[in-house]
Amino acid sequence: MKPSRVTAVIEKETKEIVRDPVTVGVALIMPLIMLFLFGYAISLDVEDIRMGVLDHDRSPASRQLVDEFVRSGYFRPAGAYGTPQEVESALQRNAVKLALVIPPGFQEALARGETAPVQALVDGTYSASANLVAAYAETIIAGFPEVVAPAVRVEVRVWYNPSLRSANFVVPGLFGVILMAFPPLLTALAITREKESGSIQQVYASPLTPAEFLAGKLVPYGLIAFLQIVMVIAAGFLWFAVPMRGSLDLLLAVGLVYVFVTVGIGLLVSTITNSQVVAMLLALIVALMPSMLFSGFLFPIFTMPYVAQLYARTLPAGYFVDFSRGVVLKGAGLPELWPAVALLFAYTIIIFALAVWRFRKKVA
Amino acid sequence: MAEPHPAIIRAQRLGRRFGGRWAVRDVDLHVSRGEILGLVGPDGAGKTTLLQLCAAILDPSEGECRVLGFDTVRQSAEVTSRIGYMAQGFTLYSRLTVAENLKFAATARGVPPGLLPVRRAQLLEMAGLGPFIHRQEGALSGGMRKKLALCANLVHRPALLLLDEPGLGVDPLSRRELWRMLEGFRREGATIAFSTSYMDEAELCDRVAFLDAGRLVALGTPADLRARGAGAVFRVASSEPGVVESALSRVPEVLGVQWQAREVRFAVDPARGLPSPLRSALERLGRIAPAPPTIEDVFVILTAGAGDRPAADTGAAIEPRPRGPGEASVPGISADRLSRRFDGFIAVDDLSFEVRTGEVFGLLGANGAGKTTLIRMLCGLLPPSSGNARVAGTDVVADPRGLRQRIGYMSQRFSLYGDLSVAENLAFFARAYGLDRRAGREAIAWASGVTGLAGLEHQSVARLSAAVRQRLGLACSILHRPAVVFLDEPTSGVDPLSRFRFWRLVNALAAAGTTVLVTTHYLEEAAYCHRLGLMHEGRLIALGDLAALRAALSEEVPETVEAVFVAYIERERARVLREGGTAS
Repeated sequence: MKPSRVTAVIEKETKEIVRDPVTVGVALIMPLIMLFLFGYAISLDVEDIRMGVLDHDRSPASRQLVDEFVRSGYFRPAGAYGTPQEVESALQRNAVKLALVIPPGFQEALARGETAPVQALVDGTYSASANLVAAYAETIIAGFPEVVAPAVRVEVRVWYNPSLRSANFVVPGLFGVILMAFPPLLTALAITREKESGSIQQVYASPLTPAEFLAGKLVPYGLIAFLQIVMVIAAGFLWFAVPMRGSLDLLLAVGLVYVFVTVGIGLLVSTITNSQVVAMLLALIVALMPSMLFSGFLFPIFTMPYVAQLYARTLPAGYFVDFSRGVVLKGAGLPELWPAVALLFAYTIIIFALAVWRFRKKVA
Repeated sequence: MAEPHPAIIRAQRLGRRFGGRWAVRDVDLHVSRGEILGLVGPDGAGKTTLLQLCAAILDPSEGECRVLGFDTVRQSAEVTSRIGYMAQGFTLYSRLTVAENLKFAATARGVPPGLLPVRRAQLLEMAGLGPFIHRQEGALSGGMRKKLALCANLVHRPALLLLDEPGLGVDPLSRRELWRMLEGFRREGATIAFSTSYMDEAELCDRVAFLDAGRLVALGTPADLRARGAGAVFRVASSEPGVVESALSRVPEVLGVQWQAREVRFAVDPARGLPSPLRSALERLGRIAPAPPTIEDVFVILTAGAGDRPAADTGAAIEPRPRGPGEASVPGISADRLSRRFDGFIAVDDLSFEVRTGEVFGLLGANGAGKTTLIRMLCGLLPPSSGNARVAGTDVVADPRGLRQRIGYMSQRFSLYGDLSVAENLAFFARAYGLDRRAGREAIAWASGVTGLAGLEHQSVARLSAAVRQRLGLACSILHRPAVVFLDEPTSGVDPLSRFRFWRLVNALAAAGTTVLVTTHYLEEAAYCHRLGLMHEGRLIALGDLAALRAALSEEVPETVEAVFVAYIERERARVLREGGTAS
C-alpha cells in the first residue's frame, strides 16, 4: 500500500461526498430517525393494564383485593361483570387484558384462616406481556391479605436498571443496531455506484491496488459512520436521558473500531455484486436483519435454541451491543469487556482482508 | 525472423465467453509500437470486450494476450500501471473539478507530484480546457468531458492508449480536437488502439480491424480494406432515388443500398461483380457508374449474409394515411420560441422552426445538445419554460392529451418490454393508444407488415437483435397512424446495413403523408432527411437542406455533413465569444 495513493482516493472520495449534501444530510438524519422511532416505540414496560372484575363475593375483602390491584399502579379497572360469559366476551373484545374472578365465600374463607381461591384470567395472545401481567397479579394476590410475619422474606433489588426502564435497555443496544443499518448501505452503494457509472474501470486500469482503493473508501465512510454513532450516542444521553455509568471515551473509542466493521461489511457486499439495487438488498439482509434479531438488542440470545445461539455468536453486532450495555448501564470497563473489544478488532481486520481478497480489478 | 518493432499487443487465439456466448473468439492480433489501430464492427461485435482484454481488466476464457510484453492475466498489475484505458461513456468523477480529476488520475498512476503542474498545463492547453480548470466535470459539455478523460489517461504518458468509442455522442468539432490530441500523442512514440463506429475515424488509422460476432473478419490498412471492395460498389444517379432503391432492394445479389439525395449507392459481392441483367435494368432508371468503395461499403460487404435479411418488401410502399380533420392546412410541426430550463441550465434555448407535412426533418447534434428535451416538449411530455409549439395542429401546452392521439414517439433504446413477445408488445401499445379489439388487430397486422416483423410474433423481445427491436419500436409508434412521428436516436447502436433499411422505411412512411422528426448523431444519416436542423448546446445553429446550409457558409467547405456542421459550430463559438466579449 502506497500512502500517497490511499490519500488520493480518500481525498477524491471526501470531495465527492461533501459535494453531495443531500446524501450527507440523509446519512446523518436517518440514524436519528431510527433512534427516535425505536427508542419510543419499543417499550417492554407493562403498565396501566386494563382489568375486569367478576366479583361473586361482593364483600369488603373482595373489594379490598381489587383496590390492591389498582393501587399497585400496574392495573386500571375497566369493567365489572356479572357472568363468566360477559368476562369471556370482554377478553375477546380486547376490553380487558386480565379478568379477576372472585368466588362466593372469599371473605368467609379468609376469616376462617383458610386458603381462599381466586382466579386471574390473563389474555395470553401476546405471550411476553402476558407473562408479566400474570407475574404482577400473582405477586399482588400472594401478598393478600398483609402477611404479618412470614418465615422467609425475599428482598429483591434490581441492579443496573433499577427502574426497569425500557429506554435504558433499548437505547444502548440501538447504538449497535443503527450502525449496522446505514454505514454498510452507504458504503456498498458508494462502490457499486462507481461500477454502474463505469468510473471504476479507470480504477481497474490503473496501478491502484485493491487494498489502496478499498482503504481509501473505508476512511471517509468510516468517518461518516463515526459521526452517526456520535450523534446517536449524544441523542441517547441528552434526549432519552439514559444514565452513563462507564467511560464515554471508552464507548467512543470502541465505537470507532465497530464503525470500521460496519463500513467493511459494506465494502465486502459491494465486491460481490455490480448492481446498486442488489448491493442495497444484500446490505440489509447481511447487516441489518441479523443484527436486529440476533444481537440481543431485543431478544436475549441465551433463550434461543443452541444452533441459533451459535449463529448469533458469529455476528459482530452482538458484541458491540453487549459492550455498549456493559459500559453504559453497568459501568464496566476494559478489564471486564476486553474479549468483546478484541473480537471487534478481529472482525475489522478479517472483514477488510476478505473484501480486499474478493475485490478483483476485472470488469467480469 | 527478427522483429523490426517489438509487439505492443500480441493476442493469440484470444477468446472470452460470457455464459454460453462468445463475445470475442479466436482473435490473433499484433500491434507494433507507434501504430494507431482502429477497431470497427457492428454493435455487440466484441470491440469493448477485446479492449478490456487488452487492458488486463478482463481475463480471457481462452488464448492469451501480451501487452507491452506482459501477460494480461499473470502480470495484470504490470499492464495496468503502464497503459491508459478510456472506457465508453463518461467515466470521470462528475463532482470533482477538472483539476481534481487530473490530480486523482495522476496520483493514482504514480506521477511524481512535482511533475503534475507542468503536465497538467500542457494537457489542458492541448485540450483547450485551461479556462475551465475549476469547473466540475459534470458541468462540462460532452466534448469537453471526453477531452478531459483523455487528458486523465495521458497524464502518466502511457506507452499504450486503449480507447473505447472516444468520439461517441461528441460533437464533430470536439471529435476533431480529440483526434488532434491523439496524433500529437502518437508523435511522442505511443501506440493507440481504439474502437469506433465512425468510418471517417477508421480511415485515419494505420490499420483497421473488423470485428463481427466476436471474430476478426479483416485486418489491414484502410487502403487494403478498400481494395477488397474494388469493383463491388456502384452508384446510380437518378432524380428519383426511391424508385432505384426499391428496384435494388428486390435483387438478392445486392448486399447494401445507401440512399442519398440524388443518387443511390449499392454494393454487390466483389467475387461476382455486377450481373449484367441488373446493370441493364438499372441503366433504364439512371446513369450507373462504379464508385470508389469506402470502409463502410467494405464493412457491408464483409458482414452481409451474416445478419438477418428482412423480406424484400420492407417499407417498399405504404398506402397514404387518412388525414384527420384540420390537419391538411397546417404544418406538421411548428415551434415558436421554445425554451426549456433545468435549474439554471438551459437545455433548449429559444427554438423556432417548422416542419411540413410529409417531411423527414433531421435533428442533428451531439449528446447533450438538447435534442431529446426538444422532442419531449413537442410530444407534450415536458412543459416548455417559455414559448409554444403546435404539432399536427394541436397546441402542445394547452392540449397535451389530444396531442397523444396524433403523434407517435419512439424513444431512445426503443422502450419495449423485453420479457414480452413481439405480438404482446404490439397488443399492449395498441391498447395504450385506445384502439378497440378489431382496430387493434388490423393496426398490428398493418404495422408488422410494413416493418417486416411477420413471422417473428412469438419471439421474446429480449432475444431479438438491435435491428429487429428497432423495427418493432417503430411499429409500436405508428400503430395508430399518427400524423407526426418522433424518432429519438432510432439508429443508435444498430449496424450500418440495418440502418440503411430503417431509413428506407422512414422515407416510405413520410411519402405516405406522415411527418417525421428524427434525431441522430450519425451525421452521414443527414443524407436521408429532407431538411436538417443542427443543434449545439441547446440552440438551433443552422436550419435548411444540406445544399442550402453549405451555400450559406462564406467559406468553401467539403460536401460532407460533418464539415458543414463543424463550420456552423465554429461560427457559433465565435459568436458566443464575441457576445461574451461585449458583455463583460
